[in-house]
Amino acid sequence: MADTGKLTVFLGNTRIVVPEPTKRWHRVMGRLGFWAQVFFLVAYIGVLSTAMFYFQFAQGEMPCPLCILQRMGMMLSSFGALFIVSHSLKKTLTPSGFMTGLGMAILGAMLGAAMSIRQILLHILPGDPGYGTAMLGLHLYTWALISFVVVMAFAGVLLTFGTEFLPIAPVSRWARGIVWIVVVAFVATIAINMVVVFLEEGFNWFLPDNPTGYELIGFTPTPAPVPTP
Amino acid sequence: MVSAVDTIIFGLLLAVALVVILVRTRWIVLTMFFVAFLAVGLLFARHVTTVLDLSF
Repeated sequence: MADTGKLTVFLGNTRIVVPEPTKRWHRVMGRLGFWAQVFFLVAYIGVLSTAMFYFQFAQGEMPCPLCILQRMGMMLSSFGALFIVSHSLKKTLTPSGFMTGLGMAILGAMLGAAMSIRQILLHILPGDPGYGTAMLGLHLYTWALISFVVVMAFAGVLLTFGTEFLPIAPVSRWARGIVWIVVVAFVATIAINMVVVFLEEGFNWFLPDNPTGYELIGFTPTPAPVPTP
Repeated sequence: MVSAVDTIIFGLLLAVALVVILVRTRWIVLTMFFVAFLAVGLLFARHVTTVLDLSF
């Protein structure tokens, strides 16, 4: 580290300068960059849990293959935030690691967005009621597309201000503990999804196009009655 | 014979999550990520070429 507060590295003819976060607003932005990644994970844990515990279990709506694929897209996208958060906590995050994480988030979001668009197009014709229950006037696959676009915009902003948003992990034990709980909750979300999909799919090669029950245990849930306006 | 493709891919995603958290080597993380990405992409390619027989 030079006296100027900047770390300079030469790669061929390219000079890479990484400023040290000496100013107060740099540290604020760095902390904001860290908690933004944690919020990313919390948001997708919330979305995945709502889809599974509320719509699937409470409402009895079985997710179709494209719904399951969009859950996978959300997980792929979240791996970017998971990478940044966990390495930041372990003090092993580098600027290239930060870019790797955001790249993973963008790639996962692109794949997920393609899946959401495919499902939206299946129900694009006027008069088509769509698949499943609408929430706030939009179906879950439309909300999924919005979330993937938000992730791409989020990653774009963070990359644009890459140096400023280079994450600074918290020092206090309780804050670090909360973040590790979020990390464990994300892993648990994937594990629970795996078990639930196994129950739904059984030993079939693929999920049925229009699933009505859990193939493995032979249970067909009764959908919750739709409230009349 | 285990044939549940979606379940296997979720298992792969779980493995990737653990690798992302526990493994420090960047190329191992990226290899695992792209294997999972490819697997999900291939499953999507399988579904995108079939007609969903939905009933309302």
